[in-house]
Amino acid sequence: MTNAIPLEAVLMVAAALFCIGLFGALARRNMVSVLMGVELMLNAVNINLVAFWRYLEPGFVVGQTFAIFIITVAAAEAAVGLAMIIAIYRTWLTSNVDNVASMKG
Amino acid sequence: MYDILDGLINSTLGFGWPSWLISLIGYVLVATLLFAVAPFQMLFFTYYERRAIARMQDRIGPNRVGPEGIFQPIADGVKMFTKEDIVPDAADKRVHLLAPIVVVAPTMFMFAVLPWGPGMVPVDLNTGLLFFFAISSISAVGLMMAGWASNNKFALLGAMRAVAQMVSYEIPAVLSLLAIVMMTGTLSVVSLINAQGGLFISTNDVAGVPDLGLGWLIFTPVGLLAFMCFFIAALAEGERTPFDIPEADSEIVAGYMTEYSGMKFGLFYLAQYILNFLLCAIAAVIFFGGWQGPGVGWLYGMAISPTNPDGSWIFNLLAGVLGVFYFLAKTYFFFFVMIWIRGAYPRLRVDQLMDFGWKFLIPLTLVNVFSAAIWVAVTSWGVADGFGLVEGWSPMLRWGVAFVTTLVLNGAAYVIVARIYNSAQAARNRFDVDELRESLALPR
Amino acid sequence: MNTLIQLIFGLLAALIVGSAVMVVSVRNVIHAALWLIACFFGVGALYLLLEAEFIAVAQVLVYVGAISILILFAIMLTRESEGARYMVSGWRLVVTALVCVALFGAVLVPTIFTHTWNVPPPAVATPGSPAPPEVLAGVEDLGRGFVFSYMLQFQVAGVLLTVALIGAIVIAFEERARRRRVLTLAEEHEVRKRQKPARPPATGERAPSPQAAPMSDGEQG
Repeated sequence: MTNAIPLEAVLMVAAALFCIGLFGALARRNMVSVLMGVELMLNAVNINLVAFWRYLEPGFVVGQTFAIFIITVAAAEAAVGLAMIIAIYRTWLTSNVDNVASMKG
Repeated sequence: MYDILDGLINSTLGFGWPSWLISLIGYVLVATLLFAVAPFQMLFFTYYERRAIARMQDRIGPNRVGPEGIFQPIADGVKMFTKEDIVPDAADKRVHLLAPIVVVAPTMFMFAVLPWGPGMVPVDLNTGLLFFFAISSISAVGLMMAGWASNNKFALLGAMRAVAQMVSYEIPAVLSLLAIVMMTGTLSVVSLINAQGGLFISTNDVAGVPDLGLGWLIFTPVGLLAFMCFFIAALAEGERTPFDIPEADSEIVAGYMTEYSGMKFGLFYLAQYILNFLLCAIAAVIFFGGWQGPGVGWLYGMAISPTNPDGSWIFNLLAGVLGVFYFLAKTYFFFFVMIWIRGAYPRLRVDQLMDFGWKFLIPLTLVNVFSAAIWVAVTSWGVADGFGLVEGWSPMLRWGVAFVTTLVLNGAAYVIVARIYNSAQAARNRFDVDELRESLALPR
Repeated sequence: MNTLIQLIFGLLAALIVGSAVMVVSVRNVIHAALWLIACFFGVGALYLLLEAEFIAVAQVLVYVGAISILILFAIMLTRESEGARYMVSGWRLVVTALVCVALFGAVLVPTIFTHTWNVPPPAVATPGSPAPPEVLAGVEDLGRGFVFSYMLQFQVAGVLLTVALIGAIVIAFEERARRRRVLTLAEEHEVRKRQKPARPPATGERAPSPQAAPMSDGEQG
């Protein structure tokens, strides 16, 4: 498997995914869409970690544990983030990031 | 499969084909076989359910098409195929089309790790059990798609209910499996079955027990409680009767299937019955030894297998037939229990369903995980693991101590949790009624 | 065999990147969420191709089975009534796109290709013996790692999950008193049934419970 695909190819996919996710997080106006962009970025990071584990240190579990921790953090982040979106929607009746500007200086 | 094909093609016929070709042929054969078997299981299940429920309700059930109505499901299938496929005007067409596919595909995926008999598993994944439940959670996405794309309030309500139910009952199901995984120390379905040889006591716990293929996990207190929790959770995941609120016909038409007709409806139906089959099958595999039973292990010992390459294929056949018989008998029995429950219990309300899952099943399964830890510590630990107390005991004594301890713990947990749950429910009902009386402002 | 793996990898990469592009570009949020699920699934398959079985299964279980469902629920609970523009526009869009493309083209790609990754050389079959099989850390090693070497981190992750669970409930909780309640026929019947014996002054003097009071106001008002 490692001689069929170079490490760079996997990293390229992850990099592309990260940039697309970044674009989504910055450019979309719906709060849920922003969160989706963040999830894409987390996935890109995870692909990197698993690829490094597979190509550089396949005998050790460090890379896999990192990936598991990131999945955990992503789950926590999604739960809290979506709860906040729902709370914001209840208060301001909007799910658009631009309309929630009451903290703006 | 690979061993049999290898033996047949290369040894018996002497073609000398390369190994990757034999693997490929094996996989294609197995996949074809499964795709042929799965719909027939579903056809049989619909007939079985209708006949059994008819007996319980003092009716006869379908008995016109063929002898005893055995061809009724085929007639129904033909009817399903010839019906017009209606897509609502306001529906999201593409998602509406994709939803039944997304619901059916995972159920077919799940067959990949299901062992039918000794040496008869499509893929022996190291994470087989987890794979099974991970894949089954995908179909929730399909249900959500169906409910949303139909653009119908009943469909959306049904989908919301179905998904909430599936997601919350996945937790007790996986937690009860966690106890089993701790006891057997494996996530692979094949080694899980292999750990269930023996006679009421697993050979895994006490070496030297006569191997009659009866060392099922259900005979341990941990396995018993895990099975009860798992089976209830399986009823909820398969949307069987006490938990069939997502498609409660008397409340929300047919739930997420409301706007589907013809073969798309048939696909939902197919997915549901195959899921029920798989849940019954996995319950049989995890707690009742799958294909384990008297005679299978002995027969398979003389067959062609990785450990015994020069066996005879006759014994492969015999062990396979006997193993599949045991496996299917257990599976059909569990499906009968599901039908039985359908004939006996009324439907729950949504809040009752959620309360039961979160406040009753999850605490019980958590206690069960603790019991499983005690079981493992007493039966297999020693000084090396920092548990020198049991070092000098004989395996039989260790097993007995573990059995009694976990039995007491699980029994006490059940009694306490049940009592707390009942009083909480009663208090809540009283509170609800008081609150309602205030809000209604009825004349005193 | 290698060609097959390369083919599968190409398909998966196309699925991942293509569905990610759809996630950020389609107008309908629900469609975006469905594309996101496709993307998660592709990433899970990529893990399987990279022989990280457990992570692939965890990916499917957590992302496809839980997070995407959560996202779908959140979208349905926060439907925007106004037909708003779904993306920033004008110079903001240009700058955002420039930043992302520049990050990809000027920073990440050159780094990936100029850095020397110390990939260990593949095991070569010597004439006397076949190539030794590669040792891969499996599920057992992962489990052992979590209870021995990474115990503290594992516990911290557990605490994090608990805190997030409680926090999410606290943030999204809607007080019972503010919820509208519609009576079912059975409940109404039950209330009336309990009402009848309560007609004599025995229970009639019961003060209204504080929890119930604001709700009845809301319902009448």
